Amino acid sequence: MTTAVGETVGPAGAPPPEGGDAIAGRSPRQLFWSRFKQDRFAMAGAAFVLLLVVVALFAPAIAALVGHGPNDLYQRETTDIFGIPEGPQSSFWFGADNSGRDVFIRTIYGTRVSLVVGVVATGVSVLIGVVLGVLAGFFGGWLDTLVSRATDIILSIPLLLFAIGIVAACSTSKEGCLNGTLKPGLGLVIVIISLFTWPYVARLVRGNTLSLREREFVEASRSLGASNTRIMFRQILPNLMSPLIVYASLLVPANILFEAYLSFLGLGVPDDQPSWGSLISDSLSSFDTTWWLWFFPGLFLLFTVLAFNLLGDGLRDALDPRANR
Amino acid sequence: MRRRWLTRSALLALGCAAVLAVAACGGDDDDSADTSGGGGAANDDVAAVVDALGGSAEFGTPEQGGTFRIENTDFALFDAFDPTGEYFGSDWTIYSNLMLRTLVSYNFSTAEEGGNDLVPDIATEIPEPTDGGKTYTFTLKDGIKFGPPVNRAITSKDIKYAIERTAVNKAALGSYSNYYRPIVGIEDMEAGKAKTASGIETPDDKTIVFKLTKPAGDFPYALAMPASSPIPQEVAKCHPQRGEYGRYVIVTGPYMTEGSDKLDVSSCGAQKPISGFNPNTGLKLVRNPNYDPSTDDTSIRQSYPDRFEIGVNTNLDNIFDKIERGELEGSFETPPNATLKRYLQDESIRDRLRINAGDRMWYMYMNLTTPPFDDVHVRRAMNLAMDLEGIQRAWGGPVQGATPTHVLPQSMIRLDDYYPFQQPPFSGDVAAAKEEMKQSKYDTDQDGVCDAPECKGVIHGNRNFAPWSNQTAVIEQSASQIGVELDSRELSRSAIQIATGEPKRKMQTSSGTGWGKDYADPSTFMVLFDGRNIQPEGNNNQALVGLTAAKAKDVGADIPASGVPPSVDADIDACTALLGQERTDCWTTLDKKLTEEVVPWIPLMDATAIDLLGPAVTRYGFDQFGTEMALAHMAVDPSLQK
Repeated sequence: MTTAVGETVGPAGAPPPEGGDAIAGRSPRQLFWSRFKQDRFAMAGAAFVLLLVVVALFAPAIAALVGHGPNDLYQRETTDIFGIPEGPQSSFWFGADNSGRDVFIRTIYGTRVSLVVGVVATGVSVLIGVVLGVLAGFFGGWLDTLVSRATDIILSIPLLLFAIGIVAACSTSKEGCLNGTLKPGLGLVIVIISLFTWPYVARLVRGNTLSLREREFVEASRSLGASNTRIMFRQILPNLMSPLIVYASLLVPANILFEAYLSFLGLGVPDDQPSWGSLISDSLSSFDTTWWLWFFPGLFLLFTVLAFNLLGDGLRDALDPRANR
Repeated sequence: MRRRWLTRSALLALGCAAVLAVAACGGDDDDSADTSGGGGAANDDVAAVVDALGGSAEFGTPEQGGTFRIENTDFALFDAFDPTGEYFGSDWTIYSNLMLRTLVSYNFSTAEEGGNDLVPDIATEIPEPTDGGKTYTFTLKDGIKFGPPVNRAITSKDIKYAIERTAVNKAALGSYSNYYRPIVGIEDMEAGKAKTASGIETPDDKTIVFKLTKPAGDFPYALAMPASSPIPQEVAKCHPQRGEYGRYVIVTGPYMTEGSDKLDVSSCGAQKPISGFNPNTGLKLVRNPNYDPSTDDTSIRQSYPDRFEIGVNTNLDNIFDKIERGELEGSFETPPNATLKRYLQDESIRDRLRINAGDRMWYMYMNLTTPPFDDVHVRRAMNLAMDLEGIQRAWGGPVQGATPTHVLPQSMIRLDDYYPFQQPPFSGDVAAAKEEMKQSKYDTDQDGVCDAPECKGVIHGNRNFAPWSNQTAVIEQSASQIGVELDSRELSRSAIQIATGEPKRKMQTSSGTGWGKDYADPSTFMVLFDGRNIQPEGNNNQALVGLTAAKAKDVGADIPASGVPPSVDADIDACTALLGQERTDCWTTLDKKLTEEVVPWIPLMDATAIDLLGPAVTRYGFDQFGTEMALAHMAVDPSLQK
């Protein structure tokens, strides 16, 4: 059986070299960790992502501590007679929005939307992409043609126009679209993003599967009578984990940004679910005067995407050191 | 590895630099930090300041010449600029002030300056009706010609053709063709039973006679609408599809679309859209060589500039920055609140801000056929609970308009000290709202909070940009206090317009809807409650007042278990036949009935019309008809332009 990254640690049972300490065998996981922890940017990225997860989990507790809910209105306290909100101050750290809501609390809550969309949409994309990519690459023939053409077609659809159309069509009635299958909100955003990102995963997986299915360990399994399913999911799939982890870690920030685009255009999650994109969008009518409306959510968005990208780079270096050569 | 470290370091540095730059940009904004509500105009009586900024104004000596430049975030279109169906106030202002003349018109001034009074334009005079108020006979002036490339004198048949066009234009049917329905034969044309309206007679080229099915005191006003402006059949017949003629409009007024003279009208196939108009980029107008000022009146059109450029710029802030810098003269858009605040607080520039009665109401309709709004107690409770003061504040404060207490704007029906629901300051009377809600079938335990499933996830549409989007949270919070949980869907202006205009979508409520008067008569608001006007598309009676079972089937709406919605059709007919004070009193009674008994809306804002003028503008007028700046009276000094 092969290892995940093709690393070997010497033949089993071989004596230690003479005149030195015994060389300790290290598992692929240990190798990965030893490389990853040396990458300080990647570690910083991972720490920031961890911090975001904590913030997202404890957003209600933070709101309770501050005393402002994400949709609580403090209009008369925070807006003047012209409806212009107040900027950052002691009781509203990130200022207030045009409706008198606490931008700090809404930004904190926005973390939840971004992480949920980033992780869930990526998970769905990877799941669909892996299944279809492995099947197409392993079996080839008409199935490969079908999956490949499907990815071509989906990648040729103008994504934003499609999203605008779906949201506009499904937003104006209680039932939504397709007998209630598609309704505006977080679920629809995740569906749209997943629909348009799985082809990239499928292409990656298909290409790798085409290569792996010709390798000796697959031949060996087949000669031992392993079924196609076993070969695909017990032999080939483990060897895809490294590129998949790397790709998924880079897909997460892309999906977070995509959610922000959709919400910025008013096509994302509803207003009562704060999202960084929609928070930034709220500043459009007064971009230069109420700068805090876009600055703080923008800052969170910037550092989150940066953190995930650094993390993804670090994972790639640690999981596939050959990529640096 | 080193290269990757360098790349990452550069990336991180870039990120930090961006953050610092952004922080620096924001850091000097002392003005925005000083938003305590105190200081300057904020502590003054804003209403008094606003009052002083109404009416026409001169800034130097207005002279002929120059280019008047306007930009808007889009070229607002209802029917692709085809006058037969086009219904936006800004487009009406462009048509009536500059491009199209009608039998009767206005002097394009404020109400106080006579801007709501009809004056003859193409007609030699405004005739008195005969035959018991059922016949109007107009005589056309000599010397009025179509602009290039048609170049011939207009005839009464051109007016008949234009009005008949409204009976077959899909857009007009949903909007204002009802104003021509009193003409004998128009309804038959709409129904496809006739090809021409027998009630419009053209005994000769200079005479047109309108025969009505019943007296309609406001009928002459309908003849001031752009749809009744002469249209040359030889051009328009080539463009039978809805909106298509909008790229081929042949003018009768002082200005024509640039490139009109290049239009080849020798055959339908030879016609290509006039180059000076593109809905995506704007409209360029130049002087019409066939316009004879002696057939017009300078009290109607002064026509100072040689050229108008009405462009599209999606960046609202940039539009008003350009106006301040002198790169533009104005916009049909409302300035951002921060700009309004600055101008109102600075006396040296304050008079460049002009604020007039908007004759328009922004409202939140409640669909009478969809639960829980099929119950009048819920509708009343919503009116009682709504934080209208908060909505006014979210809108931009008193400068943007007054909090309404009834369905019609105060400029249409003035009702002083009339508070059927809330008392000032209109911040929501939750206790009274709960008392009202207790009477609803949807409050099963009668605790004043709706507990029926019909009150959960109520679809509420709104526009996805300020100031409308600023109000969503206020509206949601107000409704939630009586148990009505709104599921807000914020969409673009056009998406909301389409969605609320199609009854089959059954959108329960929307606060992204508004209405401006078509002319200075309450009837132009009452059309919104006429059950006979309910259309499958482009419907403006969003609350579906007066919906019948038959009509419901036609438009895809449902009749609720509680029965058909209340109707005021008979009340409208009764008022329409009246004249003078009797008519006003009748409309007043109906306004109150709608407000208190039918309750189709929560009136949100009795809005003003605000114009910000560039430094090169030397004369300003306000057109009460289109409720926009009066382009017919604007003047510009080219030496002050940038």
